[in-house]
Amino acid sequence: MRIRMTGVLAALTVSALVATGCSSGSPEPDSTQPGGSLLIWADDQRAAALAPFAEAFGQENGVTVTVEAISQDLQTNFVTASQAGTGPDIVIGAHDWIGNLVQNGTIDPVHLTAEQEAAFAEVALQAVSFDGQTYGVPYAIENVALIRNTDLAPNAPATIEELVATGQALVAEGKVTNILSLQVGQNGDTYHIYPLFTAGGGYLFGKQANGAWNPEDVGVNSPGSVAAFTKIRDLGEAGSGALTRSISGDNAIPTFTSGGAAFLVSGPWAIADIKKAGINYEISPVPPFAGGPPASPFVGVQAFFVASKGKNKALAVEFVTNYAAKPEIQKALYEANPRPPALKAALEEVAATDPDIDKWFAAGENGTPMPNIPQMAAIWDPFNKASAAIVGGADVQSTLDAAQETIVEAIGS
Amino acid sequence: MTIDKVAGAEGATLPRPRGSAWRPVTPSTPRGTFVIGLVVKIFALGIVGALAVAAAGPLIAAQEWMWLSLLVVTTGLIFYVYLSPRRIALKYFVPGLLLLIAFQLVPVVYTASMAFTNFGDGHRGSKQEAIEQIQSSSVRQVPGSVEYGLSVATRGDDADGELVFLLLDPSGNGLIGDAEGLRPLAPGSFTASGTRITAADGYRVLSLSEASLRSEDITALVVPTEAGAVRANGITRAFEGRAVNAYDAGCDCIVNVDTGETWTADNENGSFVNAAGERLPQGWKVNVGLRNFAVALTDPRISTHFLGALLWNIAFAALSVFVTFVLGTACALALHSDRIRGLRIYRILLVLPYAMPSFAMLLVWSDMFNRDFGLVNKLLGLDVDWFGGAWSARLAVIIIQLWLGYPYMFLVATGALQAMPKELVEAAAIDGASPWARLRQVTLPLLLVALSPLLISSFAYNFNNFNAIRLTTDGGPFPPTDSTAGATDLLITYTYRLAFGGSGAQAGLASAISIYIFFIVVIFSLISFRRTIRHEEVFS
Amino acid sequence: MTPRRRTGLAESDTTTVDTPVRGRGRALRWVREVGWRHMAAVAAVLFSLFPIVFVVSAAINPLGTLSSTTLVPTGAGFGNFEALFTKTQFLNWFINSVAIAGTSAAVGVFITFCAAFAFSRLRFAGRRAGLISLVLIQMFPQFLGVVAVYYMFSSIGEYYPAIGLDTRLGLLLLYLGPSLGVNTWLTKGFIDAIPRELDDSARVDGASHAQIFFRIIAPLAAPILAVVALLSFIATINEVLFASIFLTSSDTKTLAVGLFGLLQGQRNANFGMFSAGTLITAIPTVILFQFLQRFIVSGLNAGAVKG
Repeated sequence: MRIRMTGVLAALTVSALVATGCSSGSPEPDSTQPGGSLLIWADDQRAAALAPFAEAFGQENGVTVTVEAISQDLQTNFVTASQAGTGPDIVIGAHDWIGNLVQNGTIDPVHLTAEQEAAFAEVALQAVSFDGQTYGVPYAIENVALIRNTDLAPNAPATIEELVATGQALVAEGKVTNILSLQVGQNGDTYHIYPLFTAGGGYLFGKQANGAWNPEDVGVNSPGSVAAFTKIRDLGEAGSGALTRSISGDNAIPTFTSGGAAFLVSGPWAIADIKKAGINYEISPVPPFAGGPPASPFVGVQAFFVASKGKNKALAVEFVTNYAAKPEIQKALYEANPRPPALKAALEEVAATDPDIDKWFAAGENGTPMPNIPQMAAIWDPFNKASAAIVGGADVQSTLDAAQETIVEAIGS
Repeated sequence: MTIDKVAGAEGATLPRPRGSAWRPVTPSTPRGTFVIGLVVKIFALGIVGALAVAAAGPLIAAQEWMWLSLLVVTTGLIFYVYLSPRRIALKYFVPGLLLLIAFQLVPVVYTASMAFTNFGDGHRGSKQEAIEQIQSSSVRQVPGSVEYGLSVATRGDDADGELVFLLLDPSGNGLIGDAEGLRPLAPGSFTASGTRITAADGYRVLSLSEASLRSEDITALVVPTEAGAVRANGITRAFEGRAVNAYDAGCDCIVNVDTGETWTADNENGSFVNAAGERLPQGWKVNVGLRNFAVALTDPRISTHFLGALLWNIAFAALSVFVTFVLGTACALALHSDRIRGLRIYRILLVLPYAMPSFAMLLVWSDMFNRDFGLVNKLLGLDVDWFGGAWSARLAVIIIQLWLGYPYMFLVATGALQAMPKELVEAAAIDGASPWARLRQVTLPLLLVALSPLLISSFAYNFNNFNAIRLTTDGGPFPPTDSTAGATDLLITYTYRLAFGGSGAQAGLASAISIYIFFIVVIFSLISFRRTIRHEEVFS
Repeated sequence: MTPRRRTGLAESDTTTVDTPVRGRGRALRWVREVGWRHMAAVAAVLFSLFPIVFVVSAAINPLGTLSSTTLVPTGAGFGNFEALFTKTQFLNWFINSVAIAGTSAAVGVFITFCAAFAFSRLRFAGRRAGLISLVLIQMFPQFLGVVAVYYMFSSIGEYYPAIGLDTRLGLLLLYLGPSLGVNTWLTKGFIDAIPRELDDSARVDGASHAQIFFRIIAPLAAPILAVVALLSFIATINEVLFASIFLTSSDTKTLAVGLFGLLQGQRNANFGMFSAGTLITAIPTVILFQFLQRFIVSGLNAGAVKG
């Protein structure tokens, strides 16, 4: 008995150690090529979509291309790993990372020919430029739009007021529980509220003469922004209730797919769920307030970036500027993950088979590329919380003044 | 000082004096065990020796003498400890101690040392790295220059030979570029297809696969031209570019060669700054001494909320420990009987919350507290905006903590109850004490003594329980006019937002604040230890 | 030395069993002595289970989403489980997690036990300071250490690729780092409770410290060692922070990292798979607990030192 306990313990230790030793010593499964190797990092979703093309590129050219999925904080991990010299050669991410990646010296500009540049949608190219240079090769564009359940709301509302009226009527009839499903959450969601904010006349950063963002001009408590949030407050819990903090990123899409709301403000990532739930839907731009300017959603651009400290930069540049910028590849990436491609040729091609693509693109026509300056990081948190507070019924002016102050202080430090 | 006092107390309360070492007694033990023990020991030391030799190889190859001597000293120490008949206590500590120092102490010290730097986004590398990055990211195509089709080639027939660029301009002229410059290739001495040269006399054109092995050479090869330099843009294309920003060591500044604008190095803050006070994005890491510590004390954003956050933080940690301890112990006591049928099933079901991945369950719980859609309101028929009100949010996070943590307390209390000397409880029973009195006067005090170090470490853990807040309320609810400190913010989540919520992560500042927090927790714990450590010898 | 009496459990055992009692009295007594225990346990079990029921419901719901409006699934099926095994590297993650958590639990228990034994039975300079330092080190916020750990292992990997970044062995070493600290106190408290007369008399019989450690204390400490093994297994199998930056290639990932990845970007679409994965993750822990219960419960009965 006594021996057995220690015996069990020891045997367990040894065998487990051996087991890990063996498993870590097992040969790499992927086929090794004679040439150099290339390492690409992406989040889980995109890594899965990209893997086959990366492999094809490797086979074609006699090099080894490995795609790794980084499950958490890809941007931070990429910066840390680059600094340690163990990062990838290419990273795939959103264009608004550019400012931070550049200030950490982790990505290099890419040089596209005039011909190549002309092939991209203008907004995509605009999004990846920073400090006068192009820092990535865009491959997909995404923005939010108004998705509606056509069984409940056959016609696209022309104004937000009309949307609320339709929604209220449906709630009164007991067909739905919510007028609109737009995620706010307890701590706010700048990205999703932004179309309403711009429709009401607000702005975050002003622009410099050359069209670049001006971090000195923060407009969070500008008169336009105050007017916008006054309208948003009227839509909130203290007003019509179209916006509520109960709807968060966790339940916004399910609320729509389960028939709890006839309208949803979301992006292309919602479509898979909506189709799975068998909802008849239609996509239209987020409408303006009556008599107001058009709503301008944030446009996010997914792009390939070349790591400054990669071990195989020549090959990385080759992959990013020549291979990733081909319409076939962008089309294939669309098929793996349907959102509008950044190359015009690919966009046209997929639009021929997928009617949604044009609608997403149209909804993003008035959009603003998410600011890619590092100072944008100072906006998110205070702005999120201010928007949640106002949706909850807080005073507009004082809330925005406080947010403005926090943001300006953070940018200054 | 606390420690000294307690250590003094030890000698006094110790029932029997013990030698500092175990006095070996002439072995009258069975010979077999002795031999087995010896064999195991020799075998284990043999493995250590073999590992050390294997580990030395790469260090010698890399001429890392400092690390090599550390390895030799460590290995020597291990041999000494296990071969010497003395050093008994160390024999029991060495493996754990080595792991502790290497994988926990060193990272902690390293992290703490960041507090004296401006380490963070935009200030990660050296000044040299920043300069290189500023120059290379300012390379722009020379206006009006042409794009070339590139073929990477070597002189002669060796794929590892000296690298040259064979370039084809849009009008079909061939050029050769090397570190000397750009020269035309004689027409007819090369063949081209499409935009690139496929073969040239005297050169070997590398395939993409071969070229990819020479990546560093390709990137390093800069072919000087009048207007700038031809650089490879990947492996199949090249362009004529020019670095707009150049570093001038004379003025320790960056000069824009087009506009003449200069950014002078600010070596105290690790940035290049122009006359208007604007910084280039790429900065570098510098030592800032105690500045982060001073900022943490004087920044009004920090100091105004510090006390409030600290009070709630203490309450959160204390309540988390208290409620989990009460429920966990209650369950352990309730199940502390062999007359219960299905005891094993009960135990498994009670431990289930602990077996589920906690990050997943935190997400699930935060959804269950949703006002309109959450399970809690639905099941209880309430309409409480849990995360919307300060006190209800606090209650909610404590309930979540209770659910996640009580199985742990249940487990350790079950273990401790098993260890409890039955004689004591039985004696009390014979003395006629009621079950309740026995519980209060005998079982609970013993349990508290046995578990109090654990309660303290649980307090310390919860004091910094980042995920418990980050994945549920994320500090909220926040007053409308203040987005920096929420009702359920712990110091650590508050610090995190402060350090990582601005324009770039300020790891140095975060580290300084966490050193303050660390000392607060340490002081609390030492005070609590003074009490418990006196009880420590009760069992011995 | 007398073999310990087979003691049942604390309070209830000592009441006189022989007194004959009538039917209703017996029922009452049952309620007083055993029944309330069942009621308390059932209540606690309900509290434990209801969020888990929700996870189960999401896992078998073909439209598994994170909207927690209902406990009863709107449909049932094992599509999420199937997708988990066919669309992801789940089996790989599972094996990695069990191997890493199992090894770190086994080695960790041994290290903890050694240290606890020394703290409890030996007297040496720096004992008090050592005990307290162990707790204090644990109080430094871990998430800040990620960068340091990353740099450290990237340099280790340059010399020893076998334990560098993206290796399971390296991660295992990292997890073993705190094993001296976390549970030493718990184990020490338990060993303190083992009567010293046992080792004293063994010493008189000529046993060495190692023999006392392995042959006398180890069997008696089995219950707490089982608890420690379980605690460290659970802590390791659920660890995300370090694992997610450490492990990047899909064949080295652990369950926690893989599952977390499912939620990134597609929180709603993958929640069903995620829930299914969460449930499966709990299985090894439950099995281990089931296996270790024997030691936890029977420790004192079986581990008695005979003669």
